[in-house]
Amino acid sequence: MTEFKDLKSKWEQQPKVEIPSNGLEDIIKKINRLKHKQRIGNIVLLTTALILTVFFFYINAYSNALVTFALFLMIGSLLIRVFLEYLSIKKLNQLDVTSTTSTFTTNMALYYRGRIKIHYIITPVILLFYCIGFIILMPFFKSSLSDGFYTYIVVSSIVILLIMVFFIGKQIQKEMKILKQIKD
Amino acid sequence: MNNLESKFDSIYKENYPKVFRLCQGYTNGNEILSKDLVQETFIKVWQNLKSFRNDSSISTWIYRITVNTCLIELRKKKTIPIKDHLNHLDDDNENRSEEKELQLNHLYRCIDKLKSENKSIILLELEGLPQKEIADITGLSHEVIRVRLHRIKNQLTKCVKQ
Repeated sequence: MTEFKDLKSKWEQQPKVEIPSNGLEDIIKKINRLKHKQRIGNIVLLTTALILTVFFFYINAYSNALVTFALFLMIGSLLIRVFLEYLSIKKLNQLDVTSTTSTFTTNMALYYRGRIKIHYIITPVILLFYCIGFIILMPFFKSSLSDGFYTYIVVSSIVILLIMVFFIGKQIQKEMKILKQIKD
Repeated sequence: MNNLESKFDSIYKENYPKVFRLCQGYTNGNEILSKDLVQETFIKVWQNLKSFRNDSSISTWIYRITVNTCLIELRKKKTIPIKDHLNHLDDDNENRSEEKELQLNHLYRCIDKLKSENKSIILLELEGLPQKEIADITGLSHEVIRVRLHRIKNQLTKCVKQ
């Protein structure tokens, strides 16, 4: 093992590291920034839910059962997706970094397996509900909007759907790669 | 500065160099990425300091956080290939022997080829930790560490020789 001793001495001869003089302040600042970001995230979520509810009453959507149902499908599926994402981020941050590496790796793999389940099962169901809601609303859009605007809504919604599918696909690819790395 | 802050400050100053060196091993020697990882590690140390129960030494505890943080953060970030961050060697290392640097970078490259668990084990060994402490950090048995280390050392020396 003489050769390994050489490697070890190379490792030990690494240049001396300078300790940042304001390290503590920087870390406390970053922690405060993270807390602030979380608070903003919560405010954005609550505001979105509030705006959607106000909008629902503003357009008297409750007077037509079918429109109400369609809007519930669309808004509900969006909110569920956002809420799931929020829970996922929270769960990731709650992984116990002080546990042993093998426990941590197992928990990390479990987390990513859960993410894959969300991507492969829950997300397509959510997208389906969203599309059903939209399709139910189409006759109402057609009767109350001009032809041009109706075409615009149909085309743009298809484009948005394709973009969403593309990004979700990208995310799945990325997380599958992570899961594979954990197994290696 | 309150009690917790001053405790954290001394932990930070005492452990910064070894945490940094360990992170360098995970990032192919990328200084910028390593500094980010060190900061993430100490943020987690700060967040968990109140729950530290002296079940293990503070050093073992910090090594655990470092290894786990490097594992999770590096998966989220894109690792920069080694050739993209070695340009600094030409200008800011007048006092360092260039050959030594190249040897060290070759070592980083060989470490990077290892599986993530083996990488953690060998980095802790290079840091001079006793096998029992490596076992405490990784959660593997002392015997497994002993056998695994023998194999990784051979693998690493073979790679460096090439």
